[in-house]
Amino acid sequence: MTAINQILHLLLTANLWQATLAAAILLLLPALGGVISERSGVVNIAMEGMMLVGAFFAVYADLHLHNPWLATLVAMIAGGLMALVHAVVSIRFRADQIVSGIAINIFAAGLTVFLIGRLYGLQDVGHIGQSDALPTITVPGLSSIPFVGQVFFNQNVVVYVALVVLVLMHVVLFRTKLGLRIRSVGEHPQAADTAGINVFTLRYGAVITSGLLSGLAGAFLAIGVSNTFVPNMTDGRGYIALAAMIFGKWTPFGAFIACIIFGLGEAIYANNSVISASPYLLSMLPYVLTLIVIAGLIGRSIPPAADGLPYVPGSE
Amino acid sequence: MATVRRFASGLAMPVGSVVFAFVAGGVLVAVTGANPLDAYQSLVCGGIGVGCTQGENSALQISNSIVFATPLIMAGVAVALPFRAGLFNIGGEGQFIAGAIACTVIGTKFASWPAFLLLPAVLIGGMVAGAVWAGIAGVLKATTGAHEVVTTIMLNYTAQWLLRFLIIGGPLQLQGGFSASPPIAAGARLPTFFPSSNSTIIFGLPASVYRVHTGLIIALVAAAVFAVLLWRGSLGYEIRALGQSQKAARYAGVSVRRTIIVTMLIAGAFAGLAGAVQIAGVDHGLTDKYFSDTTGFDAIAVALLGLGSAVGIVLASLLFGMLQSGGAVMQSDAGISSSLVLVLQALILFSIAANFLGAIVRVIPGLGRRPSAPAPTAPGAALVTEAAATPVEDHG
Amino acid sequence: MSDERLAVEIRGITKQFPGVLANDHVDLDVRAGEIHALVGENGAGKSTLMNVLYGLVHADSGEILINGKTARIGGPRDAIALGIGMVHQHFMLIPVFTVGENIMLGREPTTAGGIYDSARARREIADLTKRYGLALNADARTGELPVGLQQRVEIVKVLYRGANILILDEPTGVLTPQETTELFVVLRDLVKAGKTIIFISHKLKEVLEISDRITVMRRGKVVGHLITKDTNEQEIATAMVGRAVLLRVDKQPAKPKDVAFKVENLTAMSDAGTQALKGVSFELRQGEILGIAGVEGNGQSELVEVLAGTRRATGGKVWLGDKDVTAYDARGERAAGIAHIPEDRRGAGLVLNYSIAENMILGRQRDAPFAWRHVLLVIDAIRKWATRLMKEFDVRAPNIDVPARSLSGGNQQKIIVAREMASQPRVLLAAQPTRGVDIGAIEFIHRRIVAERDAGAAVLLVSAELDEVRSLSDRIAVFYEGQIVSIEPPEAPEDRLGLLMTGGGRSGH
Repeated sequence: MTAINQILHLLLTANLWQATLAAAILLLLPALGGVISERSGVVNIAMEGMMLVGAFFAVYADLHLHNPWLATLVAMIAGGLMALVHAVVSIRFRADQIVSGIAINIFAAGLTVFLIGRLYGLQDVGHIGQSDALPTITVPGLSSIPFVGQVFFNQNVVVYVALVVLVLMHVVLFRTKLGLRIRSVGEHPQAADTAGINVFTLRYGAVITSGLLSGLAGAFLAIGVSNTFVPNMTDGRGYIALAAMIFGKWTPFGAFIACIIFGLGEAIYANNSVISASPYLLSMLPYVLTLIVIAGLIGRSIPPAADGLPYVPGSE
Repeated sequence: MATVRRFASGLAMPVGSVVFAFVAGGVLVAVTGANPLDAYQSLVCGGIGVGCTQGENSALQISNSIVFATPLIMAGVAVALPFRAGLFNIGGEGQFIAGAIACTVIGTKFASWPAFLLLPAVLIGGMVAGAVWAGIAGVLKATTGAHEVVTTIMLNYTAQWLLRFLIIGGPLQLQGGFSASPPIAAGARLPTFFPSSNSTIIFGLPASVYRVHTGLIIALVAAAVFAVLLWRGSLGYEIRALGQSQKAARYAGVSVRRTIIVTMLIAGAFAGLAGAVQIAGVDHGLTDKYFSDTTGFDAIAVALLGLGSAVGIVLASLLFGMLQSGGAVMQSDAGISSSLVLVLQALILFSIAANFLGAIVRVIPGLGRRPSAPAPTAPGAALVTEAAATPVEDHG
Repeated sequence: MSDERLAVEIRGITKQFPGVLANDHVDLDVRAGEIHALVGENGAGKSTLMNVLYGLVHADSGEILINGKTARIGGPRDAIALGIGMVHQHFMLIPVFTVGENIMLGREPTTAGGIYDSARARREIADLTKRYGLALNADARTGELPVGLQQRVEIVKVLYRGANILILDEPTGVLTPQETTELFVVLRDLVKAGKTIIFISHKLKEVLEISDRITVMRRGKVVGHLITKDTNEQEIATAMVGRAVLLRVDKQPAKPKDVAFKVENLTAMSDAGTQALKGVSFELRQGEILGIAGVEGNGQSELVEVLAGTRRATGGKVWLGDKDVTAYDARGERAAGIAHIPEDRRGAGLVLNYSIAENMILGRQRDAPFAWRHVLLVIDAIRKWATRLMKEFDVRAPNIDVPARSLSGGNQQKIIVAREMASQPRVLLAAQPTRGVDIGAIEFIHRRIVAERDAGAAVLLVSAELDEVRSLSDRIAVFYEGQIVSIEPPEAPEDRLGLLMTGGGRSGH
């Protein structure tokens, strides 16, 4: 079939892999957020909503401040606030964490469109100028290396930041005292509590971190990759990030591998003009791919033992 | 008297959640510089036809609310039933669309069939399609332990793109360039309660504007079937046991794998039925309206607000039907985006979720359940996360 | 030798939980350097009292003095600072962490930048273990260690934080007799090194063996102070329950008839993927009780699960009469007349949120008379059944509609026992039937088990309580590492059984 051939040809181009890495990072940031949140024992499926809110406020702030860095900060704060809501509802009120996550996603979808209505009168949100976007960084020298140079050293600044975060999270989670404590809280909060560790503080911190990371992803999406806000522009990436987290067995690098796979699906779709298949069928690619990956996991993927269970002190 | 008191105390939490949502939503509206009272007045107008200021016809608003509510009842059941088994069916949307597609395909390809064959065929076709769509997630969960939240959401997006593929330049598109399917045959349509003639005037408007259709009866029957299945059926007993404790269910001879799959199949059938009913009763064909459909997601809030009981789901569906109808009026009259309704929905969800554990500690009096039945169990949703997060193990 | 200084003085501690007064003006003195036992039935308040001492629970009133000074214990951190350490009944260990990580948690040694210093952890643990003679491998995965070693990790954890007062909550429940002996050696060594030990237990024999003084609690109050060398089992038990207690079951000799169950070379895997059953063979006759003695984790649980149909065998055969029931699942086994009292009462035997009535048909929800054509429940029949059983088995509850969760452990177990016995089974599989159940209910359940036997049922009794096995069984099969190593008469001496349970005593060893 010619479509398959065309896809195979695509796979040999540096363009595709450059797009893949960018798409992967868009998934990686919320996935890392999910990893740290769930490692501390709080199920978090609200990355979709936190990203969406981050995207909206990034554009809104950028249109007013004309400063992508400040706008990104605003986006991260917005994501963090949404995460705080999830944290309070889940930790303090011991609500069902999946319901809370879904509520956040619905809230974000409704809030963003509502705000568009209030702020822009049900018209489109404006576009940011080229100079206000998060810049692409072309690393001098390294970016001239054929193929590799284009893929790795010619990316948006957020990509580099995300890769640093990736390494940082791995080190923190698995090599530091803080990471040990976070993981203990997610495996056996009672044991951590009796060892004198503050379960609640760590969980709040982890969930808020996931909000910051998702907000950053939203900013990348809205003022890095794109240049405006469109309702529901996150398109399920927050959920795909969840799948990446599960596939990666709740480890940062594992999630990264999954994100690359999913990013590949997205990059192929973005190139649908050169593939003679219906763009709508191609759109299914990331989602079907996720399904297959999740279903075909080799070996059971086991979450942290206390994931999703609200901690009640003193319970036996 | 005790029953009335129990009924009232059972209502306290859902009602309180709705009140909380409206108050918080009102604050949001006020903070962004609009008048919450205006917004809510038009919301109420669109919902129950009361307080309309721009000449909207009350009967029409009520009719619209009921029309919106009808598919929600069945979709709500599609979420509530798996909850009991410890499963989160977030895929109601995809299952709904699958049912709608199936109904349209059968309704157009077999147009020559007489109504007494075609109508049941499209409805059953919708149920089968929905069941398959949910069944995929069910089988994956049962055999590989794949997290059903992720799989059902992926299936949602897949269904959406499948729909677009079919009616935008695809095999199911109506000639003429619109993004819509050909209309289904007359034999596949669910009759409306009022005659669809323009000459009969009812409540001041020609009868054909009232779209309340017999699908409502199907929806109510579906809710009743759900209640009987869950509380009087052996399968229902097993499903509830599974949701409470996998170990106890296995001890009781329940095949965990099989029950998960069967539960998802039944749930998908309900959601697919909703989609088929929506096509057969209202739209009579697929249109681009279905691209932005949110029935499956609204159903989640409906199931939770209805505390997972049949009567509760019907009441909650009516509420959300009213919110949807009201949202349209709110947008046109008060200029507030109808997405505020989504915000209200989310606030309701938060409020319920945060109260949940408190409710579970007290035994919730089952709304509308006959007192001779064994004591009702609290909705298993709060215990769901454990079951949903751990892979299925089955030694049988 | 303990001196007269008081390490711990508890004065008038009161703690109310919703619906139950867990501690009612409790006074307790623990002398420095002694081993003080705190005994009582489940629900007597012992664990609550110790949780107050350790700061996990805040008392409503009363005060605590440590080494003569009033102490404010707001949380475990305060308790640890005061030199109090607690080894919990359910280990506070994280299975996926290493021994070192578990011990260090909360006081982790670090290098610059917060990196965890596993080398230093290893050194410090080596120091500790040498000092107290508790050998441990700091890099082992905690979850993979045998239970006795896991407990050792808990003890070292507590010592690492400088505990001088150690609270041990039901420490021997999961240990073999050998491991228990080793533990007692360790405890005596710790006392010699100047530590004070509070030992919570309901195992009277052990309490008599290890402790210096005993405090008895019942229903939240202290009801007795005893000096160990001056008292005996009967006296303690009477104080615990408030009346004379039958410690042995009165029973007639067995009259075994035909073979009911014949098990041939059964093999099966455990959940962890190891070989749990390595070729088990035995016969079980109608009208006899075959007791399975052994430390938990040697395959007994898996044996019961295979026989009950909730686990698939990987080889071998099981015959019920002349029917091959090896591949039967739980429904099939039940239909064939095999009743199962599961060892996991709260997890498997009951759906806690279901009412008593609903729990009474757990497993029979598709069978007549409770179901019409296998699909619809017959509410009337279910309620009649539940009401009858509740009375006959003395389940203490207001009515059949209350959730099982609201009942005491003993009454919960009675629901299960009632349900399984009332079906007049051919075979009764009873796994840990009286674990966590108060003495009054234990008596009742033991009598019913014997009654089933006398009515002709074949009973397989699995219990980690050697006393229970010896008192009820007509024959004892000792389980070790997935096999039956010997079939003994019930009069066999305890140390012989203990030896067999740990792999010794067989021919050729």
